[in-house]
Amino acid sequence: MKVENYYLKPKSLEEAFQMANDNQGTFRYIAGGTDLIPNIYQKNCNASCLIDLQEIEELKKINRFENYLSVGAGLSLENFETNQDITQSYPVLAEAAASVATPVIRKTATLGGNLLCDNRCIYYNQSKWWRESVGNCLKCNGNICIATGSKRHCYSEFVSDTAVALIALNAQLLVFNEQGEQLLKLEDIYSGEGVNHLLLKRTTIIKSILIPLDQKYKAVYNKLRLRSSLDFTSLTTTVSFNQNDQIRVVLGGVDPKPVLVLGDSKSSIENMIQEALKKSRAIDNEILSRKYRRTMIQVFLMRSFQKLKSMDKY
Amino acid sequence: MKQIQININGVKQNVLLDSHDSLAQVIRKAVGLTGTKIGCEQGSCGACTVLVNNKAVLSCITPAAKCENKSITTIEGLAKDGKLHRLQEKFVEKGAIQCGYCTPGMVMTALDFIMNKPDANQEDIKMAISGNLCRCTGYKKIIEAISETLTDKKTNSLINTSNQFPIVGQGRPYLEATLKVQGLADYCDDIPLKNPLYCKFLRSPSPHAIIESIETHEATTIEGVKYVLTGTELPIPFGVLPISQDETALAVHKVRYVGEIVAAVAAESEKIALMACEKIIVHYKNLKPFFDIPSSLVSINENDKIHPSTKYQNNVHKIAELRFGNTNKAFEESTYTSQMQFEFSGINHGFTEPHASVANWDNNGLTIHTATQVPHYLHRALSKVLELPLSKIRVIKPYVGGGFGGKSDPFPHEIIIAHLARKTGRQVKVTLSREEVFLCNHGRHPSTIEMKICANHHNRLTALDTDILIDGGAYGSFGVVTSYYNGVLLQAPYELDNFGFKTQRVYTNKPQSGAMRGHGAVNSRFAMEVLMDDLAYQMKMDPCVFRLQNFLDQNVLTVGQFRITSNGSRESLEKVMLQSSWNNRYGKLPYGEGLGVACGFFISGSALPIIRNDIPQSTVHLKVDFDGRVLITSGTSDIGQGSDTLLAMIVSEVLGISIDKTTVLAGDTLLTPVDLGSYSSRVTFMAGNAAKDAAEKLKFEISKSLSEIQTSHTDSFIFENNKVIQLESSHSWLWEEAVEIAIASRGAISVSGKYISPKLGGDFKGSGAGLSPSYSFGAVIVEVKVDSETGLFKLINVWGAHDCGRAINPLAVEGQLEGSWHMGIGQAISEQMSYFNGLLLNNNFLTYKIPTSLETPPMSTNIIETNDPEGPFGAKECGEGAIHPIIPAIANAIFDAVGIRINKLPISPEDVLDKIKLRRQTELNLVPQTQQ
Repeated sequence: MKVENYYLKPKSLEEAFQMANDNQGTFRYIAGGTDLIPNIYQKNCNASCLIDLQEIEELKKINRFENYLSVGAGLSLENFETNQDITQSYPVLAEAAASVATPVIRKTATLGGNLLCDNRCIYYNQSKWWRESVGNCLKCNGNICIATGSKRHCYSEFVSDTAVALIALNAQLLVFNEQGEQLLKLEDIYSGEGVNHLLLKRTTIIKSILIPLDQKYKAVYNKLRLRSSLDFTSLTTTVSFNQNDQIRVVLGGVDPKPVLVLGDSKSSIENMIQEALKKSRAIDNEILSRKYRRTMIQVFLMRSFQKLKSMDKY
Repeated sequence: MKQIQININGVKQNVLLDSHDSLAQVIRKAVGLTGTKIGCEQGSCGACTVLVNNKAVLSCITPAAKCENKSITTIEGLAKDGKLHRLQEKFVEKGAIQCGYCTPGMVMTALDFIMNKPDANQEDIKMAISGNLCRCTGYKKIIEAISETLTDKKTNSLINTSNQFPIVGQGRPYLEATLKVQGLADYCDDIPLKNPLYCKFLRSPSPHAIIESIETHEATTIEGVKYVLTGTELPIPFGVLPISQDETALAVHKVRYVGEIVAAVAAESEKIALMACEKIIVHYKNLKPFFDIPSSLVSINENDKIHPSTKYQNNVHKIAELRFGNTNKAFEESTYTSQMQFEFSGINHGFTEPHASVANWDNNGLTIHTATQVPHYLHRALSKVLELPLSKIRVIKPYVGGGFGGKSDPFPHEIIIAHLARKTGRQVKVTLSREEVFLCNHGRHPSTIEMKICANHHNRLTALDTDILIDGGAYGSFGVVTSYYNGVLLQAPYELDNFGFKTQRVYTNKPQSGAMRGHGAVNSRFAMEVLMDDLAYQMKMDPCVFRLQNFLDQNVLTVGQFRITSNGSRESLEKVMLQSSWNNRYGKLPYGEGLGVACGFFISGSALPIIRNDIPQSTVHLKVDFDGRVLITSGTSDIGQGSDTLLAMIVSEVLGISIDKTTVLAGDTLLTPVDLGSYSSRVTFMAGNAAKDAAEKLKFEISKSLSEIQTSHTDSFIFENNKVIQLESSHSWLWEEAVEIAIASRGAISVSGKYISPKLGGDFKGSGAGLSPSYSFGAVIVEVKVDSETGLFKLINVWGAHDCGRAINPLAVEGQLEGSWHMGIGQAISEQMSYFNGLLLNNNFLTYKIPTSLETPPMSTNIIETNDPEGPFGAKECGEGAIHPIIPAIANAIFDAVGIRINKLPISPEDVLDKIKLRRQTELNLVPQTQQ
């Protein structure tokens, strides 16, 4: 029987959350929809109920909150390229936002949506007919990974560019769920497992992203891709250094979750790069090879450290 | 279903929708505004861009429900009271519109941009449009149009030159540009329908298998399903070449690639048709598949072959081989030799308009509107497969959103819906998804080329020998021609006395390869130009000077008896050398930066038709009646390259009338005389000559009538400035007056002009391949910057020059050249068709990587004019030849930058990096040895 499609437009977080609970199993939240709709088109998502979060004004605010800059998850990525608070305090976030997809997509795509963007794999992001022809993979309810032959692990790539920058800035999320509001470290919402790459419950809504204001980060951002627009990442890196002598090395595009390596000014750069490499479970599931991307991890990180050194120190 | 209200272009509309319908679907279907185009369905091409509350949005990935009560502006909402928006005017004026399919989305993106960033520079513009893919223009003219809109540069009168002189040699926008820029040009998917059925296909999931059974019963019982078709109903084979009739409309008994059509459903809606396809059960017995050239060369049993009937013991489809002179001796006596092995990925045309067709059946027989480059070949294929007399078939070409060779074969979907229209008595429509377009393919053959060339101690090129393997996929297409072109099109632009090639085309279990811009010669040209560069390097000679020393002259025969008439090789190369400051900069740039050069040439149409007969290759009819308007009818297909405008310009020039006194009707097999269509760069030369011939005849007819009343000679009349002037008396008539006199006694005048190529070439087997009444020549210099730690490289500049004989419409010629260079850049840097077990991995515009505006460097465009003795007004081709030199020029620039030879396309950063490392290692190893 054909399931009737619903499109709901809640005005508040509470209302959205209620609608989600009423449609358990069949719903998806939609913000910009630039990731979700292509997935629905390819039948990688068969939600019949879409709950549109974009009429919730609370999700579109930028303000100071204690020692944080609080940015609404519903703000479009374009905002982060132009907003002066962001471009001055967190240029890497502006850079990361500006490196996502295309300028037109960034007018629609939201920051929250980008953080939750589904993992990707060339054997998964295909039409239903294609996936059935090749034999469904683990991520679409099959029993084997096409890329590796593994029967257990899906290594679809984590592709959010803004998450990489934000984790390097030690950002936290204010989420709305059954407990009300809850603060989470951004890096803690990712499972590291390709099939379900998020640890958040599907009903949870990201309300805002909290970026520390008092840690004076210097950071370097980089993204590897064949074309300078449109393409998803093959490797995103951010290396940051703050006034508390913390170094955060974050990688995207080379593992089912963002790779995070911590250090300080006494840490050996070589060791940090080796640790990042060790943690990156990149596989051959996109146009650029695993081998090449691993080589680029080293080049990008080495360059980032060099550039950081040339910036002012605290 | 849900009803919502949206405001479109200032009008409130209540539309009924399924809650997940996209905004694009609603705008196009429910509201009926078809100016908004769908190119990819997945938000990766930008063709569907509209404004929602004044913000650019991709309507194909925006749920319509999201836009409830919002204000939407589509391309149709821009012009006010019949006057174009100034941005639209600039697009028209600058020639930023070719096929026009990306134009509406491009204009909407640009509109949002200029409203928000009035102080933007060129780089900002490039960034802003980087999500809108254009396959025709290379973006250059689009960027100019946006830039000039921003600086508020007054619109040049070009846009309104319809009544101005001179005509030939004066660049002008296409006749239909103002329609395209408003979204008013109907492409096939835009044609209004009457009670149609929609067709969808069930495609094979197996690369090579016997079809044991097909169960369609359940599908036929679904309400709304009108017809379920399987292969045995249409068993007659077809193919574009008479010698390769190896394909059927649907698979019959056997499938040969993943994606081959196994069944088709005609139903009341696309959804029902899709649902029915899923209910068809097919049992396959898998056969051993052949995915690449090496496996297809292995000897096997007859029944294991992809096409059991072929004459070889393996999956080889065609062997083409020709030898001239004595290559062995030349190599023995040579001073310098260069030899390399090359590898090329398959390339897709990437036109922005997906294939679409609409078929009707009535008492006149079949009428099919379809996105095609060659109505004529489809006409013949339909007649053959459907067993219909030619006189009962009418093929009409609406506006076509690009072809590049990819719409020149007859296609299964066209034959299928024609059959379904006959069987159901209803109009039947099909539009392919982007994935299906990729499955149709017919793109550039994946190839492996082993080539060697040599030169003597005078630095003269003496011999070339090459072994070429090309992967044809599952069917023949143009492959026999491709096999020859790979070889024969190496015998110019350099003088070469000893020359041999052998090309083997193999069948594999993949979508078929066919003709694509620069047909057959692009990959082998790459190989030759890289080897030329290497020879020059060995000689310690400037690679430009080496080429200049070896160019063929004009008015010569090549070793394989190509008749070269006009030849602008030298002028082209000298021009780009000058512009790039080659002499001051080549070899002197710092490590990581480099300049590279390459040359090329191409045919202006094939001298021999595919289907051997004596019918003229082009015929153009002109009709003039009491209204003074000259109707030009021609079987050519304007696919965005500007052929309609070209025909109008030529006729206007000859008759001395302004272009607004002409109308072109083209690409309709009932109304227009037969023409072999738009491929092999033949239209300007052949249809142009036919149009010129027709116009001369019309001129003669009018002169004859005037001479009867004036008792003077027919040649004593001058046709210019919308007047006819008698030389002796200086008496003049307005054009309309002259026409009235001419038709007074005899009625409306119709004349027919034609073009037949002269007899050319030798009398050996295979001598016909590559023969053309004229050849174009060109040269490109590229500047690159290579990051030696990542292998990533960036194109900094392109200087290109192309000898097109004479530019009848320079604006269009520039557009063709820039588009060719852009397409070549794509093959060089990022495009490739990748397969996994016969499944195409990158079947959309996100993963099949056509260069965006940001990958396209500044291009200096130079038209070289040599006045071809046989071309219309001296013109020859410009649409394909320019793609040849750019790709090897990029590779040679990388050599200049970092000292590595590229032998694989696309040039991957990984390959570049590996080679740089290898080179360093070799250098390190060499140093201690020499020290010892």
